[in-house]
Amino acid sequence: MLTNLLVAFFLGSTSQPGIALSSIEISLMVLAIIGIAIGYKYLSLKGGGRVIAEMLGGTLITNDTNNPQHKQLINVVEEMAIAAGMAVPPVYLIREDSINAFAAGFSQQDAVIGINQGTLDLLNREELQGVVAHEFSHILNGDMNLNLRLIAILHGIVFIGMIGYGVLRGAMFQRKNGAAMLALGVGLIAIGFGGMFFGNLIKASVSRQREYLADASAVQFTRLQTGIANALKKIGAHSHQSHMLNKSAEQASHMFFGSVLPKFSSGLMATHPPLDMRIRAIDPSWDGAFAETKGQTRAKVKAAAATSKPKNNIQSSLVSGITEQVGQINEASLTKANQFVNQLEPNIKTSSHDVFEARALIYALLLSQNADLRQKQIAFLYEKAEKGVPEHLIRILSALDQVNRSEHLNLVLMATPTLKRLSKAQYRIFSANIGELIVSDGKVDLFEWVLHRVLTQALYGQFEKIKPPRGKVNNILKLEQEVAQLLSILGSYSHPNKQQCEHAYHSAARTLNIALPFKHSEHFDFRLLNNIMERLRELSPGAKAKLIEAADVCVRSDNSVSFEERVMLQGICATLDCPLPYGS
Amino acid sequence: MELLITLGVLVLLAFWIVSIYNQLVALKNRYENGFSQIEIQLKRRYDLIPNLVETAKGYMSHERETLESVIQARNQAMNGLQSAADDPSNPQAIKDLSSAEGLLGGALGRLNVVMESYPDLKANQNMMQLTEELTSTENKVAFARQGYNDQVTEYNTYRQSFPPVVFANLFKHGIDAELLEFADSEAIQAAPTVSFN
Repeated sequence: MLTNLLVAFFLGSTSQPGIALSSIEISLMVLAIIGIAIGYKYLSLKGGGRVIAEMLGGTLITNDTNNPQHKQLINVVEEMAIAAGMAVPPVYLIREDSINAFAAGFSQQDAVIGINQGTLDLLNREELQGVVAHEFSHILNGDMNLNLRLIAILHGIVFIGMIGYGVLRGAMFQRKNGAAMLALGVGLIAIGFGGMFFGNLIKASVSRQREYLADASAVQFTRLQTGIANALKKIGAHSHQSHMLNKSAEQASHMFFGSVLPKFSSGLMATHPPLDMRIRAIDPSWDGAFAETKGQTRAKVKAAAATSKPKNNIQSSLVSGITEQVGQINEASLTKANQFVNQLEPNIKTSSHDVFEARALIYALLLSQNADLRQKQIAFLYEKAEKGVPEHLIRILSALDQVNRSEHLNLVLMATPTLKRLSKAQYRIFSANIGELIVSDGKVDLFEWVLHRVLTQALYGQFEKIKPPRGKVNNILKLEQEVAQLLSILGSYSHPNKQQCEHAYHSAARTLNIALPFKHSEHFDFRLLNNIMERLRELSPGAKAKLIEAADVCVRSDNSVSFEERVMLQGICATLDCPLPYGS
Repeated sequence: MELLITLGVLVLLAFWIVSIYNQLVALKNRYENGFSQIEIQLKRRYDLIPNLVETAKGYMSHERETLESVIQARNQAMNGLQSAADDPSNPQAIKDLSSAEGLLGGALGRLNVVMESYPDLKANQNMMQLTEELTSTENKVAFARQGYNDQVTEYNTYRQSFPPVVFANLFKHGIDAELLEFADSEAIQAAPTVSFN
């Protein structure tokens, strides 16, 4: 509102007639301009994670790469994503020698991870995993959204300064109102800088807190404080530390793992907590030396692990409540994910990484169990899919049979970044074919629905430009109808005996104070379920947590979790962007 | 009042222009990424060819010319690929790659025809495996090429549309990207898997 005064003063001091503006009009104009600036920046970043990665000069690392460094990175990212139960994010490489990494994107669906060349060159697998876990924590904790908003808002403030600069230069050429314009220009610049100063202070402070949290999460996920602690120590030992040369990096400085510019490394303006404090937060026994830790013996590593205080002791031993598990990774799920990927049939693994073959893999996952129907579907693919696809599908069918049905979802997660490399036209054909395959048997089963749901949610963000849900509905009872329907469907899978189903439903409905009666669903109606989930996606995070709790109660009410129940719970969580860790 | 309105309009205009620039850059990045996909598949194909020729030599010692022309065409195509990979936005490099690929396709086609007269060669295990791999690589090349061309088309269309066309030259996006056109080689036909016994 300083801006208002300044502008009013300027106009008042000019001797031009007819400029009688009320202060309200001035305020509106000023707000409008700031609003436009913010809106513009927000929209330009809206392209999603990959737009930001490209802006930072990143090149995509395709997951069928042959480069051993890249392969290791892809493996680490893949494991972590499977452990978290979310789609594997695309990975970008930044050609800088310092040790740094970032996560960007508005949601899990368009999230990307970027890694510096220096990180790959200097960190071992354990340390790399620590850094990746840190980035995943940003994704799972929704920090990216927060960061992007901060960038946009700051841009609005900076913009005023830019206008001031422009006005200043204009003032040089102005005879009549030169002095006043000068004052206006200087004033605007002052405001711009002042605003930017305070804005950066806030941005920095918020960022620092989130960084501590991300570090702690990384330790929790990997159960190893050595990984990320050593990574931080290596940064300290490196001559350029984590500093970057790319000019755009400064704007996105708080999205990076380590601080990006020396001037933003300490003090109030620091986007990241000081290195030594970060290390001490994880490893209280640290001796303060930044030396390379390659010489650390096994014994030392074990001792260090023993003295650390993990944030959440309960995590690994008990089955904590389901909402505590959502959006987390734990050591068990990470180990399981690692095993899964390593034991996966090589054919299937390469198929999930090759953009041509990945489609065949997805088609194969959607084939019917019924032999006749399968033949029909394959015939359809011969007709509609590109040359070579059905042949490849047949080739991997026997390998695919070795994969447990409950692990099929992991294959979808692995294939997602591959499919994101399709061109728009290719995607449309793929999407149409999938649709056909699913409805071809006249009925859609629950399992197909979940696979389809997870897949499309990940791909829609990039190809269909669907607006993400606002997630503002706090009162879960506002969507009472939909919740009751969902719980009814879930309950119907609980038991062959209808009474038991009703019991399951009621135990869940009670927790939410829902009075609507149970309606047993005879067959799976995917259209209905899609509609229900679309509405339920509008729930706020708190309400979502309640819903997931209720679903969990429903599933566990008879003390046994059937395959369908687990699959449906996974589907519900995935649709709500609340991934369940692998194996839970 | 007018001053502020003009200011507002100018601001909007500035943003609009910047977003056009950003979009041009983004689309260019996409098709360059798309090119690296073709690169991977073409490299695979080029790597399979020497093996193929070696196996064939054992059976086709009199067909030296045919075999040699395949190797030569393959080497030329590899060079073409290298220069195109260095700068996919250079239309000449892409055109050169297209023609080199065309020549290679022709040479492989001739080899295929000649191989028909050597049933022993066609029945050789190693040869069957190689032709199988070649065929699957052909499919992937075709697919990657299609993807690349889609993205090039998207860039070109945007660049030619109004209003970007007004600024394209200014922003150093003055020329269309080149489509990669070569006949999807019927190259080496994989032996049919059905046997008539």
